[in-house]
Amino acid sequence: MTDAAPAAPRPLIDSNDSRRPTGLLLVAIPVFLVGWLVIWPIINAIVRTLWRPDESGAIGFNLDSYVFFFSDQYSINNLTITLWTTLMCAILLLVICLPISLYLRFSAGRLPAYVQAMAIFPMFVPSIILAYAFIRVLGPNGMVDILLNSVGLPKIRTPYLTPWGPVIGLVWDNIPLTVLILLSGLGNVANQAIEAARDVGANRLQVFWHIILPRISNSVLVAISFAVLGIFSSFTLPYLLGPASPEMMGPFMNRTFREVNDPLNAITQAVITFCFCIAFGLFYVRSVARNQGK
Amino acid sequence: MSVLKITDVSKIFAGPTVAVDNFSLEVGDGELVCLLGPSGSGKSTLLRMVGGFERPTSGLMTIDGDDITQLPPERRPTGMVFQSHALWTHMNVFKNLAFGLKLRGLPKEQITEKVEAVLELVGLAGYGTRGVNQLSGGQQQRVALARSLVLEPKILLLDEPFASLDQHLRERLREEVRDIQQRLKITTLFVTHGQDEALAMADRIVVMRDGRTEQIDRPDVVYREPQTPFVAGFIGTMNLIEGEVSKGRFARADFRIDIPIPDGPATLAIRPEALDLEAAEAGVAQVHRVTDYGTHGLVDLDLGDGTRLKAMVAHPDLFSEGQKVNLKPQAMAAYRDNARVYRS
Repeated sequence: MTDAAPAAPRPLIDSNDSRRPTGLLLVAIPVFLVGWLVIWPIINAIVRTLWRPDESGAIGFNLDSYVFFFSDQYSINNLTITLWTTLMCAILLLVICLPISLYLRFSAGRLPAYVQAMAIFPMFVPSIILAYAFIRVLGPNGMVDILLNSVGLPKIRTPYLTPWGPVIGLVWDNIPLTVLILLSGLGNVANQAIEAARDVGANRLQVFWHIILPRISNSVLVAISFAVLGIFSSFTLPYLLGPASPEMMGPFMNRTFREVNDPLNAITQAVITFCFCIAFGLFYVRSVARNQGK
Repeated sequence: MSVLKITDVSKIFAGPTVAVDNFSLEVGDGELVCLLGPSGSGKSTLLRMVGGFERPTSGLMTIDGDDITQLPPERRPTGMVFQSHALWTHMNVFKNLAFGLKLRGLPKEQITEKVEAVLELVGLAGYGTRGVNQLSGGQQQRVALARSLVLEPKILLLDEPFASLDQHLRERLREEVRDIQQRLKITTLFVTHGQDEALAMADRIVVMRDGRTEQIDRPDVVYREPQTPFVAGFIGTMNLIEGEVSKGRFARADFRIDIPIPDGPATLAIRPEALDLEAAEAGVAQVHRVTDYGTHGLVDLDLGDGTRLKAMVAHPDLFSEGQKVNLKPQAMAAYRDNARVYRS
């Protein structure tokens, strides 16, 4: 009698052809949904704004809606305020979140844990609640005004309904994600790398500039890209906190579509917004790829 | 001339945990002193205090008479080589070495000259443009050493620099580092938990335990004349036999030997190479295992009460498992109350 040969261990990745349809089937549903709900509307929007009937009714390549957008001062102002808001938010997020992340990374004890909890807290507050909280605190006759009034001080110039309103709201809203991404990047900076820099004579600022910042440049890019993409196309906070004119692209699109009842120009605005976002996205991918190649 | 003087330095972490307890040491000019001890003995904390990465709770540290106790690391005339190399991976080899010189505001030509000279010294001439991730572990360690040396520190601090390297590379590098240290005559404080490294490299060894000094001596003295049972057990292989002395005779199980010390408990320390064996039918110990290492053999012995001893023999084939033997120590020491009370 001979012993039966032991069964060969099953590989982690099964290359058996008969299993491939199962794998494809598993990814088919999400791929289909992305195609149906994201890719198709994008293609559809681009095609609908570029191939339109002219005055004679013949369908052809037509840039009129884009020409209108870029020749209309109001549209340009809206695009400019959106870019300005995005830029301000990106700068403020870096200025606010980098020190918080550095503090959380290089401190130990109970206080950093509380600071981290506070930094992450906005993540659990819906934008609409945040907007109304902002109005109740910083708005006209809000809590700050009441407190100032109670001690005989003059009212503040409220940022509510000014371009700074959405900036404050969007920065607050994006702090948690930015802090988390920066913190994850800082986790990759070894303590000994910092100590080695101090050992050769670098002060704290030089350590930050020459050692920490180059090591977290990818994380900074990721954090800022995520924030920029979200802020550029944001709607709720600019709609509730921002000025009526000029307005950010999100509320502008909504008003053009619903109140002005002009779907073509609303779609054109959406395509332009998408183009800016894709440009940010491509810049991010290129920068990350270049950094990883170094 | 650079002399490091550590006087009554203590470090107490929150808890409170006493990491270093009233430690004093003077490292002479060009001397290489090894801090040796098990994990948690406080040797790395002490080195980090000298480097400025930890502040002492009390005590004084001076370099050439200048008080450095409260100085931040960037203002100390020390250079540290870290266990993990701690190279900056976003810089190439040249930039890693040049960084400290740039911070000191040296002109470009002088930086290039110094970096190239140090790369030559550590055997990495022509490696300046390489990325540090392209180097082997040994080469990375040399770059880390070069990065410290290029700044010409008064005191070189080495924190288990070979711990992450394989045995062969470790042996080669420790010889190279010792050569460089002697050539530059740089005062060096070296932390390791490897006895081989300490014995091979150090001018003096400081054996540490629980933040305190157990013994400070030349390597050969620490090995041959350990002052405490801890040092005896920690340096090299040592048979430590707990027993009782009565009327000048030490006893453990059936093993007896004359030791001229007062009656009471004692710990007998015998090196395996100092323990001769004599086959005897009524021997006091039984051979448990014989291991032939080619150059010599190691015989594991049992005293009959579970006490295990080791003896180094030239001819392991003369012994076999179960065989009874008598023990003939050629040299030994006895300890009582953590102090040596007898040596032969």
